[in-house]
Amino acid sequence: MSRFLPSFALSVALSLSAWSSASAQTAGGTLNLIVQPEPPTVNVGVNRLGPTTYVGNKIYEGLLTYSADLKPVPRLAESWTVSDDGLVYTFNLRRNVKWHDGEPFTAKDVVFSFEKFLPALQARSRLNLAEVKEIATPDDHTVVFTLKAAFPAFIFVHNTAVLPAHLYEGVTDFRNAEANTKFVGTGPFKFAEWKKGSFIHLVKNPDYWGDGKPYLDDIFFHVIPDANSRAIAFETGKVDVLRAGDVENFDIRRLAELDSVELTEAGWEILQPVGYIHLNNRHKPLDDLRVRQAIAHAIDRQFIIDTIFAGFGHETNGPLSRLSQFKDTAVETKYEYDPAKANALLDEAGLKPDANGVRFEVQLVPLPYGELWQRQAEYTREALAAVGITVNLVATDVPGWFKRLTSFDYDLGQNFVYTTADPAVGISYAYTTIEGDNAGTTGGNVNGYSNAEVDRLLAEAGHENDAEKRRTLYSQAQKIISAEVPQIWTHDIVFPTLYREKVRNLITSGLGTDENFADVWLAK
Amino acid sequence: MMDRLGFLTGRAARAILILFGVIVLNFVLLRVAPGDPASVLAGDQGAADPAFVEELRRDLGLDRSIPAQLWVYTKSLAQLDFGQSYREQRPVVGIIAERLPATLILTLTAFGFALAAGISLGSMAARHAGSLLDTVLTSVSVMFFAMPLFWIGLMAILLFSVWLGWLPSYGMATVGADLSGLSYVADIASHLLLPALTLGLFYMAIYMRVTRASVLDVLDRDFVRTARAKGLKPGLIWRRHVLRNALLPIITFASLQAGHLIGGSILIETVFAWPGIGRLAFDALMQRDYNLLLAIFFITSAIVVGINLVADILYVAADPRIELGA
Amino acid sequence: MARPREILSRNPGAAVGVALLAAILLLAVFADLLYPGDPWRMAARPNLPPFSPGYLFGTDMLGRDLAAGIAHGARVTLLIASAVTGLAVAFGVAVGAVAGYFGGRVDDVAMRFTEFFQTIPSFLLTVVIVAIVAPSLTSIILAIAVVSWPQIARVVRAEVLSLAGQDFVRAARVGGLSTPRIIWGHVLPNVLSPVIVAASLMTATVILIESGISFLGLGNRDFVSWGYLLGTGRTAFRVNWWLSTIPGVAIFLTVLSLNLVGDGLNDWLNPRSSGRGKRA
Repeated sequence: MSRFLPSFALSVALSLSAWSSASAQTAGGTLNLIVQPEPPTVNVGVNRLGPTTYVGNKIYEGLLTYSADLKPVPRLAESWTVSDDGLVYTFNLRRNVKWHDGEPFTAKDVVFSFEKFLPALQARSRLNLAEVKEIATPDDHTVVFTLKAAFPAFIFVHNTAVLPAHLYEGVTDFRNAEANTKFVGTGPFKFAEWKKGSFIHLVKNPDYWGDGKPYLDDIFFHVIPDANSRAIAFETGKVDVLRAGDVENFDIRRLAELDSVELTEAGWEILQPVGYIHLNNRHKPLDDLRVRQAIAHAIDRQFIIDTIFAGFGHETNGPLSRLSQFKDTAVETKYEYDPAKANALLDEAGLKPDANGVRFEVQLVPLPYGELWQRQAEYTREALAAVGITVNLVATDVPGWFKRLTSFDYDLGQNFVYTTADPAVGISYAYTTIEGDNAGTTGGNVNGYSNAEVDRLLAEAGHENDAEKRRTLYSQAQKIISAEVPQIWTHDIVFPTLYREKVRNLITSGLGTDENFADVWLAK
Repeated sequence: MMDRLGFLTGRAARAILILFGVIVLNFVLLRVAPGDPASVLAGDQGAADPAFVEELRRDLGLDRSIPAQLWVYTKSLAQLDFGQSYREQRPVVGIIAERLPATLILTLTAFGFALAAGISLGSMAARHAGSLLDTVLTSVSVMFFAMPLFWIGLMAILLFSVWLGWLPSYGMATVGADLSGLSYVADIASHLLLPALTLGLFYMAIYMRVTRASVLDVLDRDFVRTARAKGLKPGLIWRRHVLRNALLPIITFASLQAGHLIGGSILIETVFAWPGIGRLAFDALMQRDYNLLLAIFFITSAIVVGINLVADILYVAADPRIELGA
Repeated sequence: MARPREILSRNPGAAVGVALLAAILLLAVFADLLYPGDPWRMAARPNLPPFSPGYLFGTDMLGRDLAAGIAHGARVTLLIASAVTGLAVAFGVAVGAVAGYFGGRVDDVAMRFTEFFQTIPSFLLTVVIVAIVAPSLTSIILAIAVVSWPQIARVVRAEVLSLAGQDFVRAARVGGLSTPRIIWGHVLPNVLSPVIVAASLMTATVILIESGISFLGLGNRDFVSWGYLLGTGRTAFRVNWWLSTIPGVAIFLTVLSLNLVGDGLNDWLNPRSSGRGKRA
């Protein structure tokens, strides 16, 4: 009895303080969002495409989430410890958490997801699992990961969903499992209805483990295929939030001028998107450093940010985002917009212009995600034409773009990549040497860049437990990569989010709108 | 009577042949496409694992040769099994069944409006041929025919939804409203108005023109002059003789247009976020969801063949003098 | 047959159509003189509205001159339209003539072949072909031609069927003329008028199809057609309305003029069907 009293008092005190800060929030209301394109599923265990996580992360949860300053925050794990040598991660799971079908959440679910389900369906999870020597569950609410070697990025892989093991008893073919469409999670919202082509409806989970949360009663994700229609839906009040990509950036500027509309640039601190123009290092003359440098000097990246992306973006000269804790701008090579320098470099490389002023021809594969990327491709064509490089734009759709980039069938390729919170699970894939003709996915080493020293630095830094040593290693790697400019980093992307002023706590963590929305409330 | 039955079975057999041709043609085309469902599903996973994508490909049966895949597909088609959607991992028939009604509601409403308005305005123009009314009507029809469909749609949304606020701007029903019965129908009707009108006006222009030409042609014929000479009332002449005969070519023409209507709804469905199969087909194409796309082609063609068959029956029933030749 | 001038004076619509078409053709022909060089280079300040000094139709977000785009776009659009029509007519006439003249089994096969292309949802097929083969001038032209020729074939077949039974053809046969001579020299010239009418109307439809394809995002970026301008300007509609409105108007005027000209041709070549002949 005496052991209970202090913890009882503590929990009362905690809930009282929560309640007092919660008195500002009002419960109730329906939030209207847009999801586009319509996802193939909302089961984030099956895939992690953008639209899927936008919806699915409100139904499913992971052990942790992360704050805007990249610190882990408790979610399904109440607390955790990391051993001094960085080899043992112990997670203490929250108690009294129920799945949406009433079954209790236990360590078994965590192990099932991490060890069996996710690696079967997601490449990234496979790589994560490869770092682990063994997983132990001393009791129903503790999971202990022992790694093969120190891997500090490991703390960042735990926002991946935990799936209910009890729905997959005896199942071996995870990809085609019927349980995949049961959408049972632990999150603040339960799946209610999906009218294909129209909307996805989530309802409040009354048994959610967070006291008093969620505040919202329902969330509707409207499916609207046309960008103009999406803007009109927001204008006419049918929809409360617009994410970047729902409408073009210049429309975001226009809509931000409306009454009671707020604009924020926050919410992407974990994903850290960066815009790329890949240069195929395996094709001549792009294998010549001077040619790549020339291209970097020939493109006015500030113009791209200001004119094409309506000012949403920041300059960058290296592989990491400005939001990364390892970003070291001091060691980066700066590539100012300087066509004269570009011309000089190309002359030096022996690529003299012919009678028409053309030095050589390349193919550019644009990113088929929207008009702004097309404008960037068209601008790039202009900019390079000015220094004697003829650019042919390849018309293609998403599967075609993916295929070309990953099989080195391009010269210049547009892309943007989520470089993510830790380089070991982010950009390392992009700059580590690969053999063969298949880069895997567009987040891989699409450039075909190969530098043994960089390989060594990245591999070592990935498994270096000492924070300072890690920083030094990554700085060295950034210095080399920036100097060798295997690709152009066009800009550090800013994805603005527009929302009605009545929507509160929309973005409260580094995951932004990909959060579970347990804290979101609507002011009257 | 036996003649007619033979005629119909002949038609049906040809229909099946056409459908088979559709499948082969599209199947081959699609395999020529760069990228495949695996590339789309792998998407922006962000990790460099070629083995993973290859495994996905194997799982989806995409690593086999084209003839092999065609054989598998044809076999299952013979059992009326259209396969699974790669993207959604469930039978394509279910997916299409969910979205087909929306397209049918849209196109049948547009079609009905276009026919009704087109025939009445076209006959009016024909009866007053050469007059100012005729010129005005013809000009209006030409104008509607000349405007890009999606442009009209966008203008209509801006006018009626954004500026006037009278009508909803997208979707088939109000999201989240739990309506039933009459109010549910009314809700759908208010969403249906703009897209059906936009689509309908375009086709109305066509039917107006065809009706006018057809009516003029009939008005000039001997039997009409005879009827007039006999002193029959103009209204009677109109209904029993002129209209009935003028309608025949219009029916043929309209049934030919059926394919356009069903396949052409994609633009309207995109602008108005109407959850039909036109947009579904486009998305399936973009995601290389072959089974789904092929099934949509198949079903759409089947509907068109069905409409043509019905039109043929109507035609034959209306005019027994018509020979049942090829 | 009435003389052209009579037709034009009796049918003001056709007159307007001819005038418009002539203007557009002139624009296409003289585009290089009016706007030399690459029309789509970034020449000016971005986002200028129409009637800005020096930029009649304004500029887009990259500072590209819309007037230059419209002028050169006229060329590309008309090129696509005529190429498609040419191909469709060539193929359609061939199939239709053979079917109508020989009848029987040949007709059967030809008609099944034609029906096949008319049963498939045509716009969808065009989109599929363009998406698969990757958008280029050639692929777009071929894709639209593939779904357009059946209309011509049907018209030609109907005409040839009725002609094949007539006396002058029988006489030619009996006289020992070879089949190709008969078809080419005697049958086809009489088929010309409905084909011309159908072709002029088809040209209009082709322009609309091409703009529809661009709207869906499958236009090609290397050549600037009106459909492409319409497509790219569409999302900027609320901020730079001129970018999609003006190409839209250009398309509208061209399609309108083609329809009016087609109607006028119909009047001229088939006076009975216009209703402007005598009434009983």
